[in-house]
Amino acid sequence: MTDKNNRTEEMNVQDKAYMHWLYQAAGMGNRRFLEELARLGTPETVYQMMQTGLLESKLGKQYQKKIRQMIQFTQGYDVLGAYEGMLARGIRFVTKEEQDYPAKLKELADSPYGLYYVGRMPDQSRRSVAVIGARECSEYGRHMAKRFGRELAEAGIQVISGMARGIDGISQHAALRAEGYSLGVLGCGVDICYPQENRQLYEELADKGGICSEYPPGMAPRALLFPLRNRIISALADAVLVIEARKKSGTLITVDMALEQGREVYALPGRATDLLSDGCNCLIKQGAGLITSPQELLNELSGTCSAKESCRQQELICLEGRQGQLLSLLDYQPQSVQTLQIRYEEKYNEYVTIPELLNELMQLCLHDAARQVCGSYFMKSAE
Amino acid sequence: MLSAVTSGAVYGIRSRMIQVEVDVSHGLPCFQIVGLPGSAVREARERVKVALKNVGVKIPPMCINVNLSPADLPKSGTMFDLPVAVGIMIALSQIPQQAVRDTLLLGELGLSGELKPVKGVLPIVQEAARHGIRRCVLPAENAWEGALTGTIESVGVANLKEAAAYLLGEKACGNVEDKPEAFDFDAAVRRETEGSRLDFSDINGQESLKRAAEVAAAGFHHLLLVGPPGSGKTMLARRIPSILPPLSLEESLEVSAVYSVSGLLQETRALKTQRPYLNPHHTITGQALAGGGRVPAPGIISLAHRGVLFLDELSEFRRETLDILRQPLEDKQVQIARSSGTYVYPADFMLVGAMNPCPCGHYPDPARCRCTPYEVKRYLGRISGPLLDRMDICVEAQPVEFQDIAEHRAQESSAQIRERVMAARERQRARYEDCTFRFNGDMSAGEVDRFCLLGEREKRFMEKVYGRMRLSARGYHRILRVARTIADLADSEQIKEIHLAEAACYRQAGGKYWQA
Repeated sequence: MTDKNNRTEEMNVQDKAYMHWLYQAAGMGNRRFLEELARLGTPETVYQMMQTGLLESKLGKQYQKKIRQMIQFTQGYDVLGAYEGMLARGIRFVTKEEQDYPAKLKELADSPYGLYYVGRMPDQSRRSVAVIGARECSEYGRHMAKRFGRELAEAGIQVISGMARGIDGISQHAALRAEGYSLGVLGCGVDICYPQENRQLYEELADKGGICSEYPPGMAPRALLFPLRNRIISALADAVLVIEARKKSGTLITVDMALEQGREVYALPGRATDLLSDGCNCLIKQGAGLITSPQELLNELSGTCSAKESCRQQELICLEGRQGQLLSLLDYQPQSVQTLQIRYEEKYNEYVTIPELLNELMQLCLHDAARQVCGSYFMKSAE
Repeated sequence: MLSAVTSGAVYGIRSRMIQVEVDVSHGLPCFQIVGLPGSAVREARERVKVALKNVGVKIPPMCINVNLSPADLPKSGTMFDLPVAVGIMIALSQIPQQAVRDTLLLGELGLSGELKPVKGVLPIVQEAARHGIRRCVLPAENAWEGALTGTIESVGVANLKEAAAYLLGEKACGNVEDKPEAFDFDAAVRRETEGSRLDFSDINGQESLKRAAEVAAAGFHHLLLVGPPGSGKTMLARRIPSILPPLSLEESLEVSAVYSVSGLLQETRALKTQRPYLNPHHTITGQALAGGGRVPAPGIISLAHRGVLFLDELSEFRRETLDILRQPLEDKQVQIARSSGTYVYPADFMLVGAMNPCPCGHYPDPARCRCTPYEVKRYLGRISGPLLDRMDICVEAQPVEFQDIAEHRAQESSAQIRERVMAARERQRARYEDCTFRFNGDMSAGEVDRFCLLGEREKRFMEKVYGRMRLSARGYHRILRVARTIADLADSEQIKEIHLAEAACYRQAGGKYWQA
């Protein structure tokens, strides 16, 4: 009995090794060709045919070039060794034909034939939201990404994003911090950390969440691959939330894909004057769901939209006297000390000197109520 | 016959008295100069020979030997022409040896016998005064410089003939320039400060920048200004000398000596009465900045001695150039070693750096800045950490608002700020009377522990700051130093929480500033 089990597993490994070989050798993006090959039999049969030179006669002249490429790729390629080596490095490979392949992705017209992943793939029985946005984000965006990442994770929602710098990485990081699950979809091999600065996030994702890519390990990041991986981000999610985006932004490519795939699109509004919120405001104008708090999004997802819950009060730290007054002037947009000085005078009719103001602000910082952004700029704390 | 004339030479800005000994005796006709003469000194032979001939002194066919003593010091420059010529005249018994007693002679000769100005007169005359010299005979154009010390009689002569006539006591025959008037230093300083066109009241808004400048000036802290283009960083830096205490006579002599050696005193024909303000372009070479050359000359940092050295666009300077500043910032002087000896120039300046926060200059304004966090990080990375470490105060300029330009609130004048700065400096002077340093900005870590004592409450506060801001030991000391100055400005011996809090705001966020 055990012997038989072992055998099937071995078969599986061997089968998958050949699948993996086929996926790489026949070119990942070439669906037609892959379908033709699948008709001929199992990948192993195809391998034998190729080695014996039968392939060309079976497929016909139009694939001559492709077959030559396959043969070229296979020269010196150890099918089993390469696959097992990859497994040893903790990288898994899953194909469309398998159970583990995300069902949501399968629906996709141009779903990848195979997926590489590290860690684990999202739990298909749980809900997922893609939190995406600009790489160069504002302090407001940073704050909101953190908040959404954390609160969605706390509510058991899986956060999917692109592990890019800015909104993507921040929301994923926050989700992991809240002991939630997060999946990073890369535009390069899963063994490559791009961007480099997200090294810590990359390792945490591999450990507590997941990282996946349709490209084989070792594939270097290339600009044209990133829009393609966006379709996977939106496909894996139940809804897409845009935190911050300019009018012409890569984020909006993901949104287009999401709409094509029939995913819900939500956007966080910003001020009309903020270039970084232009994209979001535009989306809302076009009919995207307007979201101002994680709770709202959770209600939307569970289909129980209740207006009374939508405005969740932020617990305000109660501070007395001037510190409290000053806190009411602070915003999620960094303001310089001089601006605060002028605004304070306008509102409370009292002139505060710079040293006094700096003292109060520093006290607020120590109370975790405010944050010093750069030397002379202060904002409300994002924590 | 033998003669001896006193002259002097400059090494760095320190001077040495040089005895010019001349011997004229029978033998094969020759004229030689010994005592390690440089090429300019060797050429004095030709200039002196022709000049003497042209003023009617006949040189007999004899053996002339000139020795510049001490003979082991290399000599350079043209100031020995006059003493050599006068020495020969004494040796030929045309002037009595007695005539040059306690007299310093300096000057370059032209072929017709006219005297031309030389560099470094001020430090030589200062040194001469210490050696008991009572008068100096100088080229007419240098006479005022000789008079600056006030202790030595300075005589300006136009040519060799006049010089000889003066030394012989025949004042009437030449038109020897009258002794220049004694220089009224205090009046000049007052005139300078009152007449200055640059004042802090010119700057509208930018309150936090002005405050930081005040603190920096009071404690002699180096200052780093960060801000978008056109936010007034340069404008502020240009006005920092106006809130520094006026130069004292002692300081002025130090500064003027450097300028004299560089030949820059000629333009103003007076002691420096204004604190130097130097703003070299960012393409400057290390040598121009620190001083150098085959025969070393003072660099920009020495010219900024006792004043402000402003480095605009700090991140555009070459890294190696900036790294040269590290040692002078520590030692307050710069040493240049050459085979001919080691030259020391003073370099005790206040460093003010200005830079944009990112390549485009608009960070953290998301509407205008499109730099990636990586670019921003790299931009700061161009400045070496050790240099940034020396900048106690880091402050940001914000873009100027329209109201700031249009609205003319009454702004504090430089004089008002200067008063506070001087009071704070007076406190420091009293406190550090028997220390080797003068200002809070110069305190080392050990001295910080000695002079910046904190109460229980303040200690608790700093503990919180330390944890929250993730300070290093160095950052901690920096905050204490600045807090000490802020307390001095507030006329408080005790450093209080409010002082510490403000100082903590000025800390350089360093890498954190540009957090992604």
